[in-house]
Amino acid sequence: MISLDVELPLARFPLRVAARLSAGVTAVMGPSGAGKTSLLDAIAGLRQVARGRIAIEEDALVDTAAGLSLAPARRRVGYVPQEAGLFPHLSARDNVLFGARGRAAEAAHAIEALEIGHLLDRYPSSLSGGEKQRVALARALAIRPRLLLLDEPLAALDVGLRERIVPYLLRIRDEWSTPMLYVTHNVGEALALAGEVLLLEEGKVEAQGPPLSLLSTPGLSREARGGIENLLAGRVAAHDAQGGVTRVRLAGGLALSVPLSVDLALEAPITVAIRAEDVLVSTEPVRGLSARNVYEGVVRGIERGAADAALRCLVHPELPEWVARLTPAAVAELGVVPGSAVWLAVKSHSVQVVSTGTGRPGAARV
Amino acid sequence: MMPTREEWAVVLFTLRVAALGTAVILPLGVTAAALLTRSRGAARSLLETALSLPLVLPPTAVGLLLLDAFARRSALGSWLAALGIQVAFDWKGVVIATAVMSFPLLVRSALVAFEEVDPRLVGLARTLGCGPGEAFFRVTLPLAWRGVLAGTVLAFARALGEFGATVMLAGNIPGRTQTLALAIFHDTQTGRDDRARVLAGITALLAFAALWTAEALGRRRQRRRAA
Amino acid sequence: MRLPWTPLVALAALLGGGPPARGDEVTVFAAASLANVLGEIGKAFEAASGHHIAFNFGGSNDLARQIEAGAPADLFFSADQAQMDRLEKAGLVRPGQRADVLSNQLVVIVPASSTERLSGPADLAKLKRLALADPEAVPAGIYARRYLETVGLWPALHDRVVPTLDVRAALAAVESENVPAGIVYRTDAALSKRVRVAFEVPRASGPRIVYVLAPVGGAPTPAARALLAELRSARAARVYERHGFVVLAAH
Repeated sequence: MISLDVELPLARFPLRVAARLSAGVTAVMGPSGAGKTSLLDAIAGLRQVARGRIAIEEDALVDTAAGLSLAPARRRVGYVPQEAGLFPHLSARDNVLFGARGRAAEAAHAIEALEIGHLLDRYPSSLSGGEKQRVALARALAIRPRLLLLDEPLAALDVGLRERIVPYLLRIRDEWSTPMLYVTHNVGEALALAGEVLLLEEGKVEAQGPPLSLLSTPGLSREARGGIENLLAGRVAAHDAQGGVTRVRLAGGLALSVPLSVDLALEAPITVAIRAEDVLVSTEPVRGLSARNVYEGVVRGIERGAADAALRCLVHPELPEWVARLTPAAVAELGVVPGSAVWLAVKSHSVQVVSTGTGRPGAARV
Repeated sequence: MMPTREEWAVVLFTLRVAALGTAVILPLGVTAAALLTRSRGAARSLLETALSLPLVLPPTAVGLLLLDAFARRSALGSWLAALGIQVAFDWKGVVIATAVMSFPLLVRSALVAFEEVDPRLVGLARTLGCGPGEAFFRVTLPLAWRGVLAGTVLAFARALGEFGATVMLAGNIPGRTQTLALAIFHDTQTGRDDRARVLAGITALLAFAALWTAEALGRRRQRRRAA
Repeated sequence: MRLPWTPLVALAALLGGGPPARGDEVTVFAAASLANVLGEIGKAFEAASGHHIAFNFGGSNDLARQIEAGAPADLFFSADQAQMDRLEKAGLVRPGQRADVLSNQLVVIVPASSTERLSGPADLAKLKRLALADPEAVPAGIYARRYLETVGLWPALHDRVVPTLDVRAALAAVESENVPAGIVYRTDAALSKRVRVAFEVPRASGPRIVYVLAPVGGAPTPAARALLAELRSARAARVYERHGFVVLAAH
């Protein structure tokens, strides 16, 4: 249990966060500049809070009312920054052991878990991005931290590399019982790793809750959701090699076709994302259309913005509302109003697999 | 015209006192720069200005202050005299004068080098268990060593050419306190302009070599950012 | 461009302003040991004649070097013959225009608070350091060296010498107690309460000290000629003697 109650002036607004976080992984999400890194810095002791209390379990790291602010060295908070932050003048081994001070066994466990044993004699300048991140993770783990802070650790890596590092992060989550605060923009990472999402916007907690429901919440800003407005959970039903699709069974029995992925196990849980812009709307039943996925629904609301309009449609009571984005002209032409019957169409290629039950995230990202 | 044995003796003496003076200010300068990185606001401005004074004061003014400080009549002077240590008009005075005059150059170079080290690296070291001092020695200093070395060479070059403060505190005693700069002056005073020119040429060569080394070290100094 | 007028005008006034020129200016390069006595004679001359004197005091060797290099001196008052000879050789002084005006005496001084007992040359041998005007170049130092050579002490003392820029600097070195003893002119020692004379160098073993005065360039201005005359006058002689100089008989 991590208690946060901090106030800290930033450039454009103050950071005011009050939250209690469970042990386990908490994804900290939100638009750039919302204060996520500043929050991590405050917890680590690299920034001073103006007022507040930060505690891990019963141990306070900061308590301004009591005049307490532990030096970073005494907090035992591990920090993995966005670009690894390895010491360039030290070998990988010396980086990992930097804070270990005799905790050799701890360091050895981390080295083994992150599979960097063969890299230890090399210097950061000769390591790849992924290797550097793993060394940075081992370095943070070697101090046997009470809390692990990760600031977009995979942001600097390309997609393929990211997918290869996530298993290591899962291993850390599962083998170490250390709570983790994980800043990310990547919905897939949040879904794969986090038990809870903390959404920050303009320095304040906008929402806190389980990843899937939080990220599907209507009314949540587009930015906060990472630009993805339709998140659906389901199970892998069947693979159709000839048809080139994998069929997914959504709640309520609806079927969704996604591009063929034979390595998805049958009956495995799966989360998919569909961009609102990729949803086509028709006021008549659809025939002869290439799209594999067509659903009948009812318009529940229309939000008109400056450049586009968002239609919220109920397709099935067990599914969250679908969001489709159209130009204002299209909305006017179709003549839809709340209550209108519509047919929504989505190409299977527009459906992105965001996460699977085995914890492998897809590439879905803003 | 090749330099004579006497002239080489002056060259060697100059190199030795400059080296000794630089060796003395190296730990002091690094410490001062380290303290400066940790100070802010009014305290920092005051400290920085005070440490930079020898750069802008006339060397003779600095020499006079040193002479007053080390005079046999002063508190410091009489204590040293009791210990049998002579500073004024002695080679130790040369070392002190050159050290004081080149000190600000070393401090400023070291300060720049320390502040070029990525502060996030220092922050990370703190989260990994280092106090501020330990973080300085294990991260900042190793990453800044080239800049510190460049500053040291610069200070050495300055020490080679020191005149005003040296002549005030140590006098111009041939064979005892006469550096290259003092010897050049003395030779012109005694009508040996040719010899003065030879010494001036040697001084120019030494200064050129020292400055070139400092520049080379500066060029190879990469911005010490996180890897 | 907006200029800070007030400070600039003030600066210009400070630098450009000066006493209104009523008479002419005479530039005199003179040995350091003459600073006080010429200052007195000069002030009286300025008040009487309306001319203005610009003095440059220093080691006579240094002054001669400056004159050789073209420094604008009207009169040169040297502490020895050698420096005047040097200018004569360079054609800057006419032989017939030199005059031997003064003599002086060397004394050995110690700091006023010193308990050092130096009563004669033999005692000098035990000194660890001795302040002299540069014995290689400055007249006062050269005279002192000749004395030490005469009494056979030069080999022992020569590398214990602290050479100074001129005789007044040697005096200062002893005044500050940084050097235990020095050899300066009697006239210099008399000026300072912070030193005392340990003993006078006897005229017999001392060198012949002669101060030589001459116009530079051979065609002195009326003001310079007036000053020249004043410096050799009976009135000036009384001032010289009061300061402790020996006035040589005019030829």
